[in-house]
Amino acid sequence: MPDGSCLGISQTGDHAFLSGPELQLLFTSPDALPVSRQADLKSRNFLTSAGATAGTDRLIASRIAAKKSTIQQGPSLHAIVPTLQCAHSCKYCQVSRSLVGNGYSMSAENIDKVCTTIFESPSETLTIEFQGGDPLLRFDLIERAVLTIEALNKDHRRSIRFVVASTLHQVTEQMCEFFRAHQVILSTSIDGPAQLHNKNRPISTRDSYQRTVSAMELVRSVCGHDSVSALMTTTKESLGFPEAIVDEYVRLGLHDIFLRPLSTYGFAKRNQALLGYSLEDFLRFYWRAFDRILYWNKEGFELREVYASIILNKILSTFDGGYVDLQSPTGAGQSALVYNYDGFVYPSDEARMLAESGDTSLRLGRIGESLSTYRSSDVQASLIEASTVERMPGCNDCAYNLFCAPNPIDAQAQFGDRFAPPLLTEHCARHLQLFDSFYLRVRDADAWTLDLLYRWAAPKGLGAEQ
Amino acid sequence: MRRVNAKVQDGAQARVHRVVELGQLPRVWEPYLSFLVLVQSPHCKQSVEQLQQSGLPNVYWVDADGVELGDVVLPQANRDSALVVFRNKDQHHALQLTNRCNSNCLMCSQPPTQARDDWLVDEALDVVRHISESPKSIGISGGEPLLMHLGLRALVETIATLHPNTAVEILSNGRLLSNPQVREPLLEGLNANVKWLIPLYGHADFFHDFVVQSTGAFEETLAGLLTLQQFKQPIQLRIVLIKPVLEILSELCAFIGRNLPFVREVAFMACEPIGFALANRDQCEVDLLDWTEVLANSAAILHRFQIPYLFMNAPLCALPQSLHSVAHKSISDWKQVYADECDACSVKADCSGLFAWHERGWKPTKIRAM
Repeated sequence: MPDGSCLGISQTGDHAFLSGPELQLLFTSPDALPVSRQADLKSRNFLTSAGATAGTDRLIASRIAAKKSTIQQGPSLHAIVPTLQCAHSCKYCQVSRSLVGNGYSMSAENIDKVCTTIFESPSETLTIEFQGGDPLLRFDLIERAVLTIEALNKDHRRSIRFVVASTLHQVTEQMCEFFRAHQVILSTSIDGPAQLHNKNRPISTRDSYQRTVSAMELVRSVCGHDSVSALMTTTKESLGFPEAIVDEYVRLGLHDIFLRPLSTYGFAKRNQALLGYSLEDFLRFYWRAFDRILYWNKEGFELREVYASIILNKILSTFDGGYVDLQSPTGAGQSALVYNYDGFVYPSDEARMLAESGDTSLRLGRIGESLSTYRSSDVQASLIEASTVERMPGCNDCAYNLFCAPNPIDAQAQFGDRFAPPLLTEHCARHLQLFDSFYLRVRDADAWTLDLLYRWAAPKGLGAEQ
Repeated sequence: MRRVNAKVQDGAQARVHRVVELGQLPRVWEPYLSFLVLVQSPHCKQSVEQLQQSGLPNVYWVDADGVELGDVVLPQANRDSALVVFRNKDQHHALQLTNRCNSNCLMCSQPPTQARDDWLVDEALDVVRHISESPKSIGISGGEPLLMHLGLRALVETIATLHPNTAVEILSNGRLLSNPQVREPLLEGLNANVKWLIPLYGHADFFHDFVVQSTGAFEETLAGLLTLQQFKQPIQLRIVLIKPVLEILSELCAFIGRNLPFVREVAFMACEPIGFALANRDQCEVDLLDWTEVLANSAAILHRFQIPYLFMNAPLCALPQSLHSVAHKSISDWKQVYADECDACSVKADCSGLFAWHERGWKPTKIRAM
């Protein structure tokens, strides 16, 4: 570990910090360890008994199965991109198109086909998320999809959650009534205080922040306070304002914040230099914001950081929350699918963004084909192969490989090759550091902080977060 | 169970009977049950004897202050006392399937015996048939009830049939559930309102095996717990708070949190100062107040894993304030008492009190009024 200590992780994902001499003894003569230490290490599956271990063997199998359970339930997250149109012209956005122009929206016919395909998934719970562009520009298509899916669900009887990801600028009271009637959740973007947000998200009137905030108020007044959540994108401009960004979330009464780094590999090289920042810059930003979040929780305002929840779920919980980008084999295409306006189906958001910059090699098939066609495609097979930790060099002997996985789509964006060595990827470097840091945070946490970290680690609802 | 002075009519057999009122008899009489008519007035005995002369084979009289209508009692051999094996108004009811056990716990309150006692199964079934008011819950214990796994299944199913709203709690070490020849006939297709109360005393085999004085027990109990999970059976883990357990309690709770998150709850139990606990007093006698920090920390760990917990047999003055809300009044009616100090206590009504035999053993802490 960065601080010189040694962290062990066993086959069940249990961990222990060991001193150098302890580590030595663990491998050479564990009987020489103090009895209480032997018990600790045994109970974490670093040591086994000499005699019959029928109970422990069964326990280990069930623990490993619990960690892998989410991948086996079939696609539960279905993202639909009704349109690529958007009123914003954010510098870092790789996909959206202005309001004029044709060919950037999905046909009604394709919406209907998607609705049928979704139910081919065996998953008991289905999340349908509308993305864009700004999908509210084509509210008619959202309405059509929601009503069609609800009608089909009369027979299928799944538990369904609808999410619309939008700037909310186009939202009307009438739309809100529809959202309330059909239990549609809204997910918007708040990058921080007005000045930062407006800089990140330019529109001609220069008041993106004000519009989003007043739209949030409208949505909350009709659909209830918790009907809207927000996501933030960390830009180069954000890096200097971690505390102010967190404070903004508190001010707006939001209880979840997701400190996400910006992925810039899809950009032209010139833009990468302009918009990109280093992993070290991001992590400095991240931990300052994280500590500010702890501060607010201590003050009595419940604010959960989603990235921390994902990592903590991996390292502290027996049950996997099913975060797509850290599943092995990957959740992309297996537990999540993106149905794009262009008539094709992609394994992830990033994959459809790559397509906008010309790399269409990640298409799983066309809208209207069956789910099994996507799942048996060559692309899916290669994604599975490239994300199986046991076979990827660098991952197969990594201590974190029960919690982590290469992200082949990220690798393709960064190196043009989904089989690029995971150890070279930013995805790997970032997660190695996050895992290291969270283990140290857990080790050094006081009782109050530990309570909070465990609360965040519970798997509830993580599956829908990308 | 209570032993009461009772004059039982000669001829009554040493098997379970239901105590009834003479006037009730025509309404409740059934040929396959046995009845004792409680003598409430001088003519009672005479009336019962008349009924016997008219050919009624299963009705006798009992003359006693200590028995109540509805009691299920077992007349003793000399006919001047009886065991009350079930009483409607008690909060806690128990049936014992065997007195034998495959473990030998340091603090066992009811040390096992070796002799065959298969008749206890029939007696338990008989008790169930004689109960007139279905209780909210009924406990099945031993010894180790899984030693009589076929009898256990019959008993559970009989309760489910005759008392469909009664919850059944089986106190077992779970070890034999690791054996397919026990678990399959017992659990396959079992349709009854059952909860399993399974003790666990260590996060590593040697700690648990030491407390239950039986090598290999930890692995078998672990396999048993996973079997119960597989059969979707609700589980309460039970942890008796004796010294070797308190010393590792936090680690044990973390083990439960990581590995057994499917249990319904964990019950922390103050040690009952009787049986082997008296013989192993050096291991079993503790003042719980000396362990406040360990108890609070263990509770916090279970809380982090979202596993509910409760305290049993522990008077409130033995627990930190933060744990009072999870302390239960758990000591069976017939063995529960309060100390003199308790009279002045403001929380007496919510308190478990003490085991009646604490005088011969010890108190879980220095009792003080709150």
